[in-house]
Amino acid sequence: MSATSLAIAADGVHLSFDGTNQVLSDVTLHVRQGEFVSLVGPSGCGKTTLLNLAAGLVAHTGKGSLTVGGQAPRQGNPQVGYMLARDSLMPWKTALGNAMFGMEVRGVPRAQAEERARAMLQEVGLAGFENALPKALSHGMRQRVALARTFAMGSPLLLMDEPFGALDAQTKLQLEDLLLRLCQQYKQSVLFVTHDLSEAVAVSDRVVVMTSRPGRIVADIPIDLPRPRSIRELQKDPHFHELYAQLWSHLESGWSKHEG
Amino acid sequence: MKADTLRWGGAHIVFIAVLLALGEWLTVNRWLDPTFVGQPSGVIKFLWDNIATGKLWTDLGWTMAGTLISFALGSTAALAVGLLFVAFPKVEKFLDPYLNAMNVMPRIALAPLFILWFGLGLGSKIAVGCSLTFFIVLSSTVAGIRGVSQDHLTLCKTLGASPVTTFFQVTLPGAVPVIFSGLRLGLIYAMLGVIGAEIIASEKGLGQSLAYLGSTFEVNGVMALLLVLALLGVAVVRTMTWLEKRLLHWQ
Repeated sequence: MSATSLAIAADGVHLSFDGTNQVLSDVTLHVRQGEFVSLVGPSGCGKTTLLNLAAGLVAHTGKGSLTVGGQAPRQGNPQVGYMLARDSLMPWKTALGNAMFGMEVRGVPRAQAEERARAMLQEVGLAGFENALPKALSHGMRQRVALARTFAMGSPLLLMDEPFGALDAQTKLQLEDLLLRLCQQYKQSVLFVTHDLSEAVAVSDRVVVMTSRPGRIVADIPIDLPRPRSIRELQKDPHFHELYAQLWSHLESGWSKHEG
Repeated sequence: MKADTLRWGGAHIVFIAVLLALGEWLTVNRWLDPTFVGQPSGVIKFLWDNIATGKLWTDLGWTMAGTLISFALGSTAALAVGLLFVAFPKVEKFLDPYLNAMNVMPRIALAPLFILWFGLGLGSKIAVGCSLTFFIVLSSTVAGIRGVSQDHLTLCKTLGASPVTTFFQVTLPGAVPVIFSGLRLGLIYAMLGVIGAEIIASEKGLGQSLAYLGSTFEVNGVMALLLVLALLGVAVVRTMTWLEKRLLHWQ
């Protein structure tokens, strides 16, 4: 497969901070166009670092090669949308203003950005909240606005760092459903970092298990659940639970090796 | 809500009336010596006379003018220097010990020097007021800008926002709450500096009158002016709170 047909191509990537502290060791990961790949693993396994490498937030100084859309990673690449764990909405901007922010920075004309932001807010279930300030919105609603902001930019690759990590269980399920729906519709590639195994199984085409010290990939598990999916249906699907158990065992073997 | 406000207002009026009556009763019967603590009726008479002659308004005008000009100059300079420090951290690092030394020095000690340089008029008052306002607003400007959410800055980076866009869209609005609390303190300190300098030496102003009345044992007058100063302080804080609510309605 040529590098350009891949959304992310990491080949034998090594990275260490301060020359000694090895963060990533020989990481090879290919994300195809339109594919949804999750990274799971214990804290400190380098999954966020890998994501930040792809976003250009961390400079790739070690061995190996890393390309994003066929190019070296760089900050501000319009091909890439980035979403953080916390909602990171600007508290002084309304829901609409926040949903427009990404497009505005990237030079989309104001009228067009506003039209698109309104449509996206409707799509994430926030019609009627356009003029609400973040303080008036619940955590879940704020994260919906952040989703609207991310998807409104239309970047073909999304990098998401535990976007639902700070939400309560029920809100999380609702937002996972929303994410499934948005991905079904927009078909972009996603690299998704999460702590939550059932979330990873539910939303991904592939789950990559990492382990720590040094951060490396220990398993790469295809999630062959049919799409479109819904969280409710998945809960009843025995195969969903099998995949979940399989992921668990990989994670656990990573721990026991680490302890041993 | 409105009935509640009225009830509280009524309670305060009754409380103040009782307090004044008690003071009057204690001083009339000489349980307290009015030579040292004044007498409520005397304080009211002093205020009445001075409002009538216009003396109080002149003093108030001088003090207010000094305070507002000090605040405007001191905080503008502080904002400019604060931005410079954030843009060029090396400048801050170099100047830090000198600024620290100036900041810990009791600034009112500069008053005799400033009076020598700028005379007995407004100039010396403004100089002292500025010297107090400047450091408070400077440190809050730097703290406010440094304290801007890292998440917001990361987002700007990944979006490829220019430094100018990042500054005006994210850094400045994010820093305003902290800067504003510095401005609020800065205004109160500007007043402190101006009154202090007036007490030391001045042609006019509430501080000058206060010093004069104190040295001539006009305790009623001293009490009256202290009351005026307290009310002035409350008015200043109320104004800033009102402004803050309008500016920072999103908080």
